[in-house]
Amino acid sequence: MPEPTPMEIPTIQVACTVNGEAFTRDVPVDMPLLEFLRDVLGLTGTKGACLEGECGSCTVLVDGETINSCLMLAAQANNRNITTIEGLASGAELDVIQDSFVATGAAQCGYCTPGLIMSARALLNDRPDISETELLTALEGNICRCTGYASIIEAVKRAHRESQSS
Amino acid sequence: MIQQVTTTESDRAQDAPIAPPDHLVGKSCRRIDGKEKVTGTALYGADLFPNSAELFASVVRAQHAHANITAIDTTKALEVAGVLGVYTHVDVGGTNIHGLIRRDHPALASKRVRYLGDAIAVVVAKTERAAKLGRDRVEVSYEPLPVIATMEQAIADGACKLYPEGNVMGDKRIRKGDVERALANSHVVVTDTFFTQTVDHAFLDIEAGTGHWDGQVLTLYVAGQWVHEERRLIALALGLPVEQIRIIQPVTGGAFGGREDISIQIYLGLAALKHQGKTIALRYTRSESMRARHKRHALKIESTFGAKADGTLTAARIVVHSDEGAYASTGIAVMRKAASHATGPYRVPNVEVDVYGVHTNNNPTGAMRGFGACQMAIAYEGMMDRVARALDMDREAFRRKNLIQSGDTVTTGQHVDPVSIGHCLSKALAKFKEQSYPGNEKLPDYMRRGWGMSAICFGLGYGDGFPDCSRARVELNDDGTATVYTGGVEVGQGLLNTMMQIAGEDLGLPMEHMRIVAADTELTDESGSSSATRQTYFTGNAVRMAASELREQVLDIAGIKLKVHPHEITLQQGWAFETNKPDNRVSIQQICTEGLTRGYSLKASALFKPRTITEVPQTGQSPRAFITYLFGAHVSQVLVNMETGEVKVERHIAAHDVGKAVNPQSVEGQIVGGVAQGLGMALMEEVTYKDGRIMNPGLTDYIIPTIKDLPPVEAIIVEHDDPGGPFGAHGVGEPPLIGAVPAILSAIYDATGKAPCELPMTPERTWRLINDVRENDPLTKVF
Repeated sequence: MPEPTPMEIPTIQVACTVNGEAFTRDVPVDMPLLEFLRDVLGLTGTKGACLEGECGSCTVLVDGETINSCLMLAAQANNRNITTIEGLASGAELDVIQDSFVATGAAQCGYCTPGLIMSARALLNDRPDISETELLTALEGNICRCTGYASIIEAVKRAHRESQSS
Repeated sequence: MIQQVTTTESDRAQDAPIAPPDHLVGKSCRRIDGKEKVTGTALYGADLFPNSAELFASVVRAQHAHANITAIDTTKALEVAGVLGVYTHVDVGGTNIHGLIRRDHPALASKRVRYLGDAIAVVVAKTERAAKLGRDRVEVSYEPLPVIATMEQAIADGACKLYPEGNVMGDKRIRKGDVERALANSHVVVTDTFFTQTVDHAFLDIEAGTGHWDGQVLTLYVAGQWVHEERRLIALALGLPVEQIRIIQPVTGGAFGGREDISIQIYLGLAALKHQGKTIALRYTRSESMRARHKRHALKIESTFGAKADGTLTAARIVVHSDEGAYASTGIAVMRKAASHATGPYRVPNVEVDVYGVHTNNNPTGAMRGFGACQMAIAYEGMMDRVARALDMDREAFRRKNLIQSGDTVTTGQHVDPVSIGHCLSKALAKFKEQSYPGNEKLPDYMRRGWGMSAICFGLGYGDGFPDCSRARVELNDDGTATVYTGGVEVGQGLLNTMMQIAGEDLGLPMEHMRIVAADTELTDESGSSSATRQTYFTGNAVRMAASELREQVLDIAGIKLKVHPHEITLQQGWAFETNKPDNRVSIQQICTEGLTRGYSLKASALFKPRTITEVPQTGQSPRAFITYLFGAHVSQVLVNMETGEVKVERHIAAHDVGKAVNPQSVEGQIVGGVAQGLGMALMEEVTYKDGRIMNPGLTDYIIPTIKDLPPVEAIIVEHDDPGGPFGAHGVGEPPLIGAVPAILSAIYDATGKAPCELPMTPERTWRLINDVRENDPLTKVF
């Protein structure tokens, strides 16, 4: 049987909310959420680096939970509420985690940064108090090749402190 | 790439006090690219797609690791709906060949493929899906050749030759003193063989970019490490004059040497030339990236060291075989660097080194952080531990007896001054001993704790007489800000900040008045590669020279305005004032206006090109093989599970002499990050091949350290002014990785009592080491 040509890939309608904005799009049934966000919606802040769920660069929040968007189909995002890195800052004001990443030098090449910040956001959303182990467990699905993680740990702790004191 | 800081400063009221001096050199200024990276607005190669891509390209790869091509049939590919063109070697207008040192790597193979990453055709289509479908429909006929999978096969009698001249790509020698006699007269002679593995750079930002040809200029947005050299290589391969090619470096997600060789540039350029007026996009997947790209050299290092009874090293004989893979890449330079670092920071009067590069049908091997010096440190530091043990001497005392002092010579015969390795080692050990480290508790019998150390040196820059040059331009803008122009590429290491801080320091401008334009062949001058730990030293010096000249121009106008001699003027926080009468002052912006009125130039450029001296081919000796040397020492503590072979690094300390830390935060980032990559190389990372095919081309099976693999890493910045560097700085990029690996291996030796000699020390290898079971031992076949 001949492989389907590009035109023959069936499409499906997806209606979802991304960063508070509602979108309805027809997408190929096999399109990962990552490609939907990047190539269809143009939200390129979410990165793809391994494309097989190992590195966490593509982490976004789906209904508040961290998800590897390379492993989730866009079709599965129907009626879901998605937050990406573009949805964190309010106007010119950075989210406290974003600010901390800059302050501690946790973004070197910066490619893992959006995914890490989303993982950290989910962690800090959930817990007023976090232990060292909880912090490391929350971030262990995100690979960074540049920093050796020390500045990232420092950034998340700083953000935690700042959000506690404010 | 253009980076700008928003200037909020608008009122330079004449009566407001001048802020105290804010020395940018030595300050951890926030990264200028930090905000765009944390908000997701930074545009990397793959982020240029959604808004600009009109057509998509895909690359057809070899299906045999070694074969003659007998036919290429593109008919079925062209029948795929949406496919607009399939291009092979016949469509390439230039030499169709690239290679950083030797031009030996066909952009699109015509007659023969030598590894599975060899490209054969480029498919261009309306969608990425169609391009990939077309790629899979290109039919290539092969006449398979014997696959040379290992170095042993490559040098065996009657081996199939990858090249007419044979499989030995080249060699490199060091001859110093009389090794034979010195070994014969030594109290102990210790021999061991080390096997280092193939390592992948695994930068996260997979190769991706866009190309566009408007009939006049081919514009490529592709991340490399040396945009001007890449432009030359692309021009040759495609048959275009260099001035018709413009390369703009997008924001780049890591490189580590992995972007030094040409990647997607020529394919994109070819596709763009065939589709004038259209923006072409191309992106690899992780597996394509790993299968196509060059790797770190796997070395077999046979080492013999001799010493007197009092611990004085007498001689070293070292034979290295290096898996060069299918093409030369930067292999020849890596071999040279390996040879010149064969005995590290130790005083060894008699040295013989022979390095042989051997072609196989594995991926080409080239630049990766450490560049040959990294593998040799594993061997010489491993030997220091072994010789100390043979002499029943303390590891530290033995090292200290033999470490070079200021004015001593390294392997190449070069006198080095100042030498700070002893100081680095003292700092690292003091830190290790000053506080109770984790693990004074009683361990169960099957757990062993150990610690180890390393002392390393690194020759900065290309060295060996290779032309090494950086250019820079610094201009004052009408609004009183200054812009640095450099061809150097920011790959994540912090080059932009470093250059802005150096220029800002000289001009007395605050960071928010500094701007930078980097790595655009149209707007910036060549600054060499971001590699060899050279940018802070080389481009930093060029920036410093240009900024100093511009400072003179500013002082000249300020002198006219303030009616005092320029020597009596201080530049500080955007003001020029009379040093002893600060009220007599003028703002830099007013100086710009005055400069415009008078028609004076307020810009300066500079070229920094210090010379190194080519090593004598027969002896490898040179009075100045490298422009300067960097030193570092590490201490690592590990916990080994003797039953399972698992190794956990519990603590790691790295002390590095960086001359002067221009941005201490960036320097620490480089040190800790280098340790992380070293930990990966020591314990987990290995590209495995089967008959030339990579068996783990993805991050599922190619394991790199996560946040839970890293212990607390303590970075110690040591600052011994480098007389040749900008503000005394020299650089830091590679040494932290080089020092980390041997320190961890040394700790494993200490914990287990067995000396590791194969990398990486995975649980299985560590278990075999502990139990003296070799890999091919029938006893282990049950597993």
